[in-house]
Amino acid sequence: MTQSTTRQWSTEKLLLVIGMIAIVAGIAIGTSVGYAVRYEAPTTRTFYLFNSSLNFDEELWGVSHDTFSPDRITVNKADKVVIIYRNIEDKNEDHTFTMDAPYKFDAVVHVGRNETTPVVSSAPDLTSVNLHQNQTAVISFTASWGGVFQYRCIYHYPTMTGYLVVLG
Amino acid sequence: MQVPKDPAILRWSAVALIFATGLLNIYYGNSYAGFFENLWYAMGAIYVFTAAVIAANFEPRFAQPTVFGYAIFLFVLWATTALGTGAGLDTVAYVDKAIEALLVVNMALLIRNSRRPGTLS
Repeated sequence: MTQSTTRQWSTEKLLLVIGMIAIVAGIAIGTSVGYAVRYEAPTTRTFYLFNSSLNFDEELWGVSHDTFSPDRITVNKADKVVIIYRNIEDKNEDHTFTMDAPYKFDAVVHVGRNETTPVVSSAPDLTSVNLHQNQTAVISFTASWGGVFQYRCIYHYPTMTGYLVVLG
Repeated sequence: MQVPKDPAILRWSAVALIFATGLLNIYYGNSYAGFFENLWYAMGAIYVFTAAVIAANFEPRFAQPTVFGYAIFLFVLWATTALGTGAGLDTVAYVDKAIEALLVVNMALLIRNSRRPGTLS
C-alpha cells in the first residue's frame, strides 16, 4: 500500500480496517493458545499394581478381603498404558487381571518378583491374565476408547475390582 | 458527555492509560505465575515502550493506529484465551482490560483528532 493511498483513507475506514485485523488476529491466536494449553500429546503411562488385603475375617463378613492397589487408573485417550502387576501374596494364592470389553491387552508374565526375571508366558490380545504368588506381569495396551472400564480379579470379585478411567 | 477535542489532552490521557495497562500487565505476569507469565511481561513492556513513543509524539500517523490495533488485539486475545481455558478471569485482569477498553476509545478519538487537517499532533 503506498503512502498516498493511506492518506486517502478516511479516519473511520482506517480505524475499521485496523480494528478488524486486530480482532481477527486476536481470535485466531487466542483460539490457538486455548487449544495448545489443553492439548496433551499421547504418552506412555506406567502404573504399578498390587493385590492388597483388608484386615477382616472373610468368612465372618462373607466377602473376599482382597482388593487392588491402586483401584483407579486414570489416563488420557490414546495414551499407551503399561501396568506392572505384582502378586505379592504371602500365601499360595492366584490373582488375575481381567478387563472389560472392548479392551484387550498384551501381557508378559515373569516368574519372579520383578520384570527382569525370566519370562513364563507372553501373549497378545488377552482379556485376562493369571498370576501365581510372587509373579509379575507387564500388561500393556492403548487407551483407544474413552470412558470408565472395570478391571478385576475373577477369584476375588467383587471386592478386588478397579476402574480404568480414560479421559477424552 | 463532552469529548475532549484537544489532541494534547487526548494524547496525554492515552499515555496515562497505556502506561497504567503496561504496569498492570507486568504486575499480573509477576503475581500470576504458571500461565504465560513471560507473555504478560512482554505485553507490558511493549505498552510501556509505546507510552513513551506516544508521549514523544514520534511518527503519530503510524504509532497511534498501531497502539489502537495493539490494544484491540490484546483485548480480543485475552477474551478468546480466557473463554477457551478459564484462565485470566480475575479482578486484576478485569481492571486491566477495562483500562484497555478505555484506551481503545481514547486512541480512536486521538487518531480522529490528529488526522484533522491542520492538526499537528
